[in-house]
Amino acid sequence: MPDSTFDRELEALLEYTEPPQPEAFTMNVMRSVKREQRTRRVILWAFGLVGALFGLAGAVMLSGSIARLFAFTITMPATETMQVVLFIVAAAAFYTWFMNDDLPLNQ
Amino acid sequence: MISDMELVALVTSSNDQAAFQLLVERHQAAIRGFLRRLAAGDYGTADDLAQETFLMAYRKMHTFKSTGSFVSWLHTIAYRQFLQFTRKHARQQVMAEPPEQGHDPGQSIDAEILTQRLMGFVSPEERACLTLAYAAGMSHPEIGRVTDLPLGTVKSHIQRGKHKLQRWLKDHDHSISKDKAKAGAAPAKEAHRA
Repeated sequence: MPDSTFDRELEALLEYTEPPQPEAFTMNVMRSVKREQRTRRVILWAFGLVGALFGLAGAVMLSGSIARLFAFTITMPATETMQVVLFIVAAAAFYTWFMNDDLPLNQ
Repeated sequence: MISDMELVALVTSSNDQAAFQLLVERHQAAIRGFLRRLAAGDYGTADDLAQETFLMAYRKMHTFKSTGSFVSWLHTIAYRQFLQFTRKHARQQVMAEPPEQGHDPGQSIDAEILTQRLMGFVSPEERACLTLAYAAGMSHPEIGRVTDLPLGTVKSHIQRGKHKLQRWLKDHDHSISKDKAKAGAAPAKEAHRA
């Protein structure tokens, strides 16, 4: 190989020198990770709370319609029928989320 | 020693921050070194980009496919961070100037300064390919995956970059080994190559 000497020289020249303060760098990264997690949690809670309030208000407003929808099979008061339906939907959503949480790792 | 894959699995499955910290400690020298070479001497920017790289890796850890190596994946993120940065700051003079043509051949240059100058002389793509090949010890197909360039392009970037550096060194009567010896300091080995 005609360039082998130059290749070796280039390897020596481009070799990384130890960057300064590795501990401080790691600490900074971990601090950013924690800050990001905090922000994400706040956003999740805020949006979740708003969504839950809207969902609750909607469910209360639609309780009559939901009860009528299932009236031919279930003989329960409107509010209870609405609660049963909501519970089933929430359980299905939770199951789907929980079972698919680590999907990308398996792909 | 616990492997990278096991640490990644811990981070993904149980959001283990100690595992992530171990990954940062293990690969920070390689990623910072790579970005320092790409930034051609702008160490502040390189370290900011390295920090952003690890933060992005933490965010996207669930997308990491266990078929490739973790350090290659980190290099991919780092390279994209660098490209994004250069595009964002295209109008500003953020990268180091190309080496001066009228440099006194007899003048002693510190090896690290010489490397910075040389890195400023080649294009960012050539810089990335050369660094990954000679400093990170990656194979050409691996470099292709990191830089998202076809294999032929990677090879031509390396060849072109090498010729430019060789020509510059010849024109300025520099020998790498001579300059390295002048610097006196033995560079540390990369963490992931140890």
